[in-house]
Amino acid sequence: MLSFAGISFLVPWLLAGLVLLPVLWWLLRAVPPAPARRAFPGVRLLLGLQDPERMPERTPWWLLALRIGALGAAIVAFAEPVLNPEARSDSNRPLLVLFDGGWASAPDWAARTARAEVALESAARDGRPAAVMSLSAPLPGDARLAFRDAADWVTRLPGIAPQPWAPDRDGFADWLDGAEGADSFDTLWLSDGLASDADAAFIEALGAAGDVTVVRAPAAALALGAPRFADGAIRTDVLRSVTGAAPSVEVNAIGPDPLGIERILGSTRDVFDMEDGASKEVALDLPVELRNRVSRLVIGDGRSAGAVALSDDGLKRRKVGLLAGGDAGEAQRLVDPLHYLRSALETSADLIEAPLSDLLATAPDVIILADVGTIAATEAEALLAWVEKGGMLVRFAGPRLAASGEGQLEEDPLLPVRLRAGGRTVGGAMSWGAPKALREFADTSPFFGLTPPEEVSVTSQVMAQPDPSLPERVMAALEDGTPLVTGRSQGDGRVVLFHVTANAEWSSLPLSGLFVDMLERLAVSARVARPAADELEGQTWSPVAVMDGFGTLGDPGLLSGVDGARLIEERPSAEMPPGIYEASGRRVAVNLFREGDSIAPLADLPADFVQEGMTVAPETPFKPWLLTAALLLLAIDILATLWLSGRLRGPRLASSGTAAALILAAGLSATMPAPARAQSDQDDALALYATTETVLAYVVTGDARVDSASEAGLSGLSRVLNRRTAIEPVEPVAVNLETDELAFFPFLYWPVSEVQQIPSEAAYARLNQYLRSGGMILFDTRDANLGGRLGAGTANGRMLQRLAAKLDIPPLEPAPEDHVLTRTFYLLQDFPGRFSTGDIWVEAAPEVETIEGMPFRNLNDGVTPVVIGANDWAAAWAMDAQGNPMFPVGRGSAGAQQREMAFRFGVNLIMHVMTGNYKSDQVHVPALLERLGN
Amino acid sequence: MSQSPADKISAAVGLRGDAEKVGGSLPPLLAEAERLAMTVAFGVHGRRRAGIGESFWQYRRAMPGDVMTAVDWRRSGRSDTLYIREKEWEAAQTVSIWADDAQSMDYRGERAPRTKRERAQLLALALAVLLVKAGERVSLLGTDAAQPRTGETQLRRIAMALADQRDGRPDYGAPPRARFAASGKAVFLSDFMGTREDVFPALAHAAERNVSGCYMQIVDDTEETFPFDGRTIFRSIGGSVEFETDRARALRDAYQSRLAERRAALRAATRATGWQFTVHHTSESPRKALLWLYMAIGGQA
Repeated sequence: MLSFAGISFLVPWLLAGLVLLPVLWWLLRAVPPAPARRAFPGVRLLLGLQDPERMPERTPWWLLALRIGALGAAIVAFAEPVLNPEARSDSNRPLLVLFDGGWASAPDWAARTARAEVALESAARDGRPAAVMSLSAPLPGDARLAFRDAADWVTRLPGIAPQPWAPDRDGFADWLDGAEGADSFDTLWLSDGLASDADAAFIEALGAAGDVTVVRAPAAALALGAPRFADGAIRTDVLRSVTGAAPSVEVNAIGPDPLGIERILGSTRDVFDMEDGASKEVALDLPVELRNRVSRLVIGDGRSAGAVALSDDGLKRRKVGLLAGGDAGEAQRLVDPLHYLRSALETSADLIEAPLSDLLATAPDVIILADVGTIAATEAEALLAWVEKGGMLVRFAGPRLAASGEGQLEEDPLLPVRLRAGGRTVGGAMSWGAPKALREFADTSPFFGLTPPEEVSVTSQVMAQPDPSLPERVMAALEDGTPLVTGRSQGDGRVVLFHVTANAEWSSLPLSGLFVDMLERLAVSARVARPAADELEGQTWSPVAVMDGFGTLGDPGLLSGVDGARLIEERPSAEMPPGIYEASGRRVAVNLFREGDSIAPLADLPADFVQEGMTVAPETPFKPWLLTAALLLLAIDILATLWLSGRLRGPRLASSGTAAALILAAGLSATMPAPARAQSDQDDALALYATTETVLAYVVTGDARVDSASEAGLSGLSRVLNRRTAIEPVEPVAVNLETDELAFFPFLYWPVSEVQQIPSEAAYARLNQYLRSGGMILFDTRDANLGGRLGAGTANGRMLQRLAAKLDIPPLEPAPEDHVLTRTFYLLQDFPGRFSTGDIWVEAAPEVETIEGMPFRNLNDGVTPVVIGANDWAAAWAMDAQGNPMFPVGRGSAGAQQREMAFRFGVNLIMHVMTGNYKSDQVHVPALLERLGN
Repeated sequence: MSQSPADKISAAVGLRGDAEKVGGSLPPLLAEAERLAMTVAFGVHGRRRAGIGESFWQYRRAMPGDVMTAVDWRRSGRSDTLYIREKEWEAAQTVSIWADDAQSMDYRGERAPRTKRERAQLLALALAVLLVKAGERVSLLGTDAAQPRTGETQLRRIAMALADQRDGRPDYGAPPRARFAASGKAVFLSDFMGTREDVFPALAHAAERNVSGCYMQIVDDTEETFPFDGRTIFRSIGGSVEFETDRARALRDAYQSRLAERRAALRAATRATGWQFTVHHTSESPRKALLWLYMAIGGQA
């Protein structure tokens, strides 16, 4: 194989043919183009003339170049040049394709699998067995490298996906040590280019086994640290594996908008300068309403798990309304009922202090009422409505609440429990007992896991009225079991009562750190710092949404819950993928990166590792292109030669071209607008005809024989109607379902024919509209002689099913004996057409009421929208211009009788169409008259 | 006289062949020629002077010496003087037509509807039809119908002669040196593309026989415009003459000047002998040419 500049020739010896080109040059130059031979009587006049211009006797240089180019292209084409030929390895060891498979591989995952596919296909051609492994996937249980047919692996490649954590190279190196088949193989390592802790052992293990080819990611990896809230802005670190100047990075804050649609809520763009290191802090300053909605931060469009940082309650800043029952006055700040609440919440929540009605108007998440006694009835109503819509009401007791008597006689919806009158004071100068400490929190309490400090003591409290529901409402209790904090759900919201004051008057609770923790557990305040492991310990946190390697949040499926401590201490893994975890109303995000993390590029690799780029330029054969070029050049050569010898003349080409253009233009202009106008005129004429007279109509099936029979049949029926009844239809109309408006026709006869095209969706829409607005269609499968019935498997029956599948047809039943069709004009027993065997089906009557012994069909005023039969009525009705029947019906006088009955059915049917259920009522007239007379 | 059955059969076959020839090729030509002739006014053309004839020419006063029988008494009775009724002098003329049937006449340019020969045949026959209807005697020079006669038979004979594909046709034609009827008329239809040596003496020969007439040069459009280009070998239809050029386009002007020169020479010859000359292109309507021919031989003299 001869190759240069990325192009190789598969059949290089053919290139020797290029030597022939100069010979061709000489030959072609020597032979001028052949003259044209032309018979011409005027030749005698030419005799003796000298050529004033000498035509170049030799072929012009450009024609030569053209021909030599054509031949050269052909020769080179057959030498089969190929761009980017695949490097063929001469190793015959098995091939191990190793994906790092972590989050950093996700952005160019498609390129990685493509690269692996190329390698596997190449191995398959060479007959080398192969194995594919991902360092991020759990390692196989049995220590054996599963080498098998490489082509087999190609089909499995799409099943491998990047994982949202870092590859475990160390674990793989351990596993490989002593694994079966691990002594000799070549490796294609699709690296993500990031260093890990134990790269050295890994690299050594691979190098020991055979040749290693490392494919590195083209771009530096970017990752996002966990978001945090500081100084009024969401802050996060952009981590990267390189330092120095780099293109700018856009960090988007994404969350649901008020309609629940995910949107970019905020965005910041930051540029890496020369002096920037591997980490750079970016800040997103968003209004609180937007900030609370942020569900995640994403670098650019975030195509890896590393580029997505999930937010949790840590970013949520709740709006907390504070209201105190009485003002302690400016001088006494420390006894201000709200002082400790303010101090506890101001770093982690947005506080609003306003009158209650104004508070409600700001739509806070939480309202804290400190020692508020009676609430005005209208305000209480509004407050209750707010709670029931999901608000959280936290109340603190105090002298005013105790004195107000609220909730003592009956349960107050704004208090979680009934209160006893007064309260109790312990450990004071006048009492026996010592101040009470707190009991350990029960495991049903939201405060479970917190440790009540020794020094917290309660001296006064309001007491809950004991009743059966009290125990389940207690969230915290004192040593003696009296409730300290009670709460219950009210609507979608919650009502919580601290049985002590919000200041240090009744207890030392507000002075302790437990107070802040309790408020946080109640989701009153957002965490400021990441929770410590021991804070979450003991609770089982179940995943709500987990991320895949591409940074997409998805359903956790069957993942089991995780202990709270592990959320904080452990790195994400297969058991605990990054995502949102929830326990008792609180959410914690597990992100890939934490504060202080960094990523570093892969250390230098041994010199004998072959390093390659990600993209493999596909092998491009040039042969077809070159052959095409050669053919094109030869075609040009033909034209040029003709032109040179004067046999290619312009005027003919030009004139024929213009003529063709003119004809085309004329044709277009002639055909375009005229039909449209004609169509609309025709439509108007049809509409006028159909609306000024009573017209029967039939559906055009496309089967000329059926259509003409329909026309003749309806024409015959119209004649009979004219003669016998007050309905005087004019000549029937053919209706094309695709183009014609149906609303003008009270009745459509639709013979079913296999030839018919299934109507379009638009036509079905019109048909359904027609049926709903009172139209009637008579379906006629015309095959009663073949056993055709509704639902029968005849050809037309199947066609009917297909036609009617999209029609809005009500439930059907065979026409009952007393159906109104039997008596709208004539009294009929059956409904024969050309055949008399088939039933007809009509809309099923909803119910039959029997009034005065007569079945009274209380159908709505509508006519049955469809009548379905198989008796080929049109053929029985059909008359020619002289009024003679066109199709034979039966034999002899019985046949004539049958035809007459067919006409009577037609008359009844049209009467039914025109008069609705009028006759149905008339049946009862004698009975009604009789009753009136009595 | 008794004929063997074989002779009868061969005679019948020959007759049949002739009949088919007549029926096959003649009627279209004859019909077309007659249709063409119908478009031109026909009739015995008077001499435009008093003489022996049937149609009235003029009344003139009787002069001394006029015979009494010549007096038109009906006219003379209306006045005091005697009038003689004179009739127009009518005389049948002999018109000799020569339609060149040389191979050069078989040429047809790419866009021409007919070959030059077909056009010459059509014009010759149409003229003959006109002349026969006018009672003239017509002959077709160089063929079986060379003897001037009149009547339908002669017309059919001319048509047969025209339709006849004669063997050994020359490459270029020249008017035959026939015996022309004295003071007759001659019409030569040819492309006059032959050598000067062939064409001009023949023309002079006709003029010397005291015959007046006209030449019509029938040419194809391509012979006029010479729309050729490139390296070309030009060859006469019969193949007797060949000429090779490297670039035909460059010869156009020279060719056209040669053609004009030939026409000038033909015109000069007609001027010297009192004949007339015109050029007819096959792309033009034959009617125009026929009218010109008819006027040229009948319109004056």
